[in-house]
Amino acid sequence: MIGPPMAETVPAVEIRNLVKDFKTSFRRQPLRAVDGVSIRIEPGEVYGLIGPNGSGKSTTMKALLGLVAPTAGACAIFGKDSLKVDSRDDVGFLPENPYFYKHLSGAETLRFYGKLCGLGGRCLQERVDELLALVDLEAARDRRLGGYSKGMLQRIGLAQALIQEPRLVILDEPTAGVDPVGSRQIRDLIFKLRERGITVFLCSHLLEQVQEVCDQVGIIFQGRMIREGRLDDLIAIEDQTEIVLRDASPGLISQITALVENTPGTTLVRTGKPRTTLERLFLREIRAEER
Amino acid sequence: MSTSAHSPRQGSHCGRILVIAVHAFTQLARMKVFYFLAIFAVLAIVSNFLDWSQLAGPEAVGVNVLRTIKSTSFGAMHLFSVVLSVVATALLLPKDAEDRTLYTILAKPVPRIDYLVGKLAGVLLLVFVSLVLMDVLMTVVLQIRTMMVAAEQETMAAAMGYTPEAIASLRADTLANGSSWALQGAVFAVFLRASIMASLALLVSTFSSSTLFTTMVSFVVYFIGHFQADARDFYLQAGQAGQGGLERAITLLVALVLPDFQLFNVIDAVIEGQALPVRMLGQLTLLGLFYAVVFTLASWFIFSDKEF
Repeated sequence: MIGPPMAETVPAVEIRNLVKDFKTSFRRQPLRAVDGVSIRIEPGEVYGLIGPNGSGKSTTMKALLGLVAPTAGACAIFGKDSLKVDSRDDVGFLPENPYFYKHLSGAETLRFYGKLCGLGGRCLQERVDELLALVDLEAARDRRLGGYSKGMLQRIGLAQALIQEPRLVILDEPTAGVDPVGSRQIRDLIFKLRERGITVFLCSHLLEQVQEVCDQVGIIFQGRMIREGRLDDLIAIEDQTEIVLRDASPGLISQITALVENTPGTTLVRTGKPRTTLERLFLREIRAEER
Repeated sequence: MSTSAHSPRQGSHCGRILVIAVHAFTQLARMKVFYFLAIFAVLAIVSNFLDWSQLAGPEAVGVNVLRTIKSTSFGAMHLFSVVLSVVATALLLPKDAEDRTLYTILAKPVPRIDYLVGKLAGVLLLVFVSLVLMDVLMTVVLQIRTMMVAAEQETMAAAMGYTPEAIASLRADTLANGSSWALQGAVFAVFLRASIMASLALLVSTFSSSTLFTTMVSFVVYFIGHFQADARDFYLQAGQAGQGGLERAITLLVALVLPDFQLFNVIDAVIEGQALPVRMLGQLTLLGLFYAVVFTLASWFIFSDKEF
């Protein structure tokens, strides 16, 4: 007899053959937003779903959260059907460009979401303090959200997503419209979540950031998953090898080049200096100016 | 940040509804809706100076003023409560969907019925608090003015040689036009009517995506609701006369779906100084509850399958 699966074997996210059609007003043929997508995310992983606008990323996330009903297929969070309310016990969600209630302060917003999750009293207050510290908004805790910048709104959004200590966090374009400094802060928060074993499912246009934080990546295009796997496997160029040297003399470079040219079946593809990214350059210069 | 030592918390339905209701109330209160109370105060005070009495006898002195105060106050309560309940309800749902705050709420373990009932309860709490404040203001103004009118009548009647019994009878009649329990009952009837309108607006807003559409449809239904009794009578008479067809179907639909708002005309009788029977108030309460529950359940039926 096969017993129930152990807790560790239950995936954080399991999307099986998801299909989602939307009715359109102008033509009889429904619009297929998601077409047979399957995703499995193990607990503790950071999964990035990338794709162009209108490729079905947000619809997939909404189906996972029960905000839209699948036309076919099924979604589950830690083994619980997404269409059931109890599947949301263990999930936090940050939608794309959230506004929240402008009349509430940062602390009031977190208290509101905490109470919705059944938190209260000292436990809730401690949690609010902890999260405001985590997202670096302690100084703005009593300021109304109407006065928050875009980056601050994203961070308070991330804090509300974490209010009930979920094991899964779903982030839809978490850095959309945020400046590089705010974007970096959110990226660092995702690292912190990973360190704490929280599963993260995010979609983003910023491929470089996805590359930095994700363990697994899926590429979705016109509603279909066209490539999926471990990031390192997907981006590695199998037939090439990279050697990065520091303070190498021109003589040493010449010797290495000669050695490679004298080795049959091996081709020197390129030599030169590695480059930093524009984002790193920008952040370095900003920090230098601040000092 | 503490690690996620997993312990799923289950808030109760009542707890979640209360949180959403208090939040909706706060949201509307911070939109400065209570500013209309200043307008109400001005109306209540101005109505003190409106005396169209043209009779010379002590029976007529000041009594019209008392009726004007009540009539003006109830007119303002009616207007504010219905407008507030429709517009506030019509505003909340589309705004949440537009701002995507609805996503973050429904992504928490919050059943959709809790969200709907919480929003409705928040609007009703706001209407209730507003009506209580207006009622207090009206009662205070009415009480002061009633005492002044009674004293004035007493002086005039004594000068005209009325007997003490006639003066006492006159005083009793005047006090009957002042503040009374019937007036409080009538204010509650105003609240019940506003509750039906709020739940109706909630139902419309579940399938509408615009505040303007919800508001317009709700007010049209409110207007038609005043002809519900006529529609019911037409349906019954047409049935007896053997007439049929489309007219009967339409009148049956109106008679079944819409509440009979003419029942709330008892408020006018109370303004005229008549009593409000407890039985009538009980019937209005049951009517209000029935339609509020039916409209809310219908809202849930639509909202539970709604996609965002």
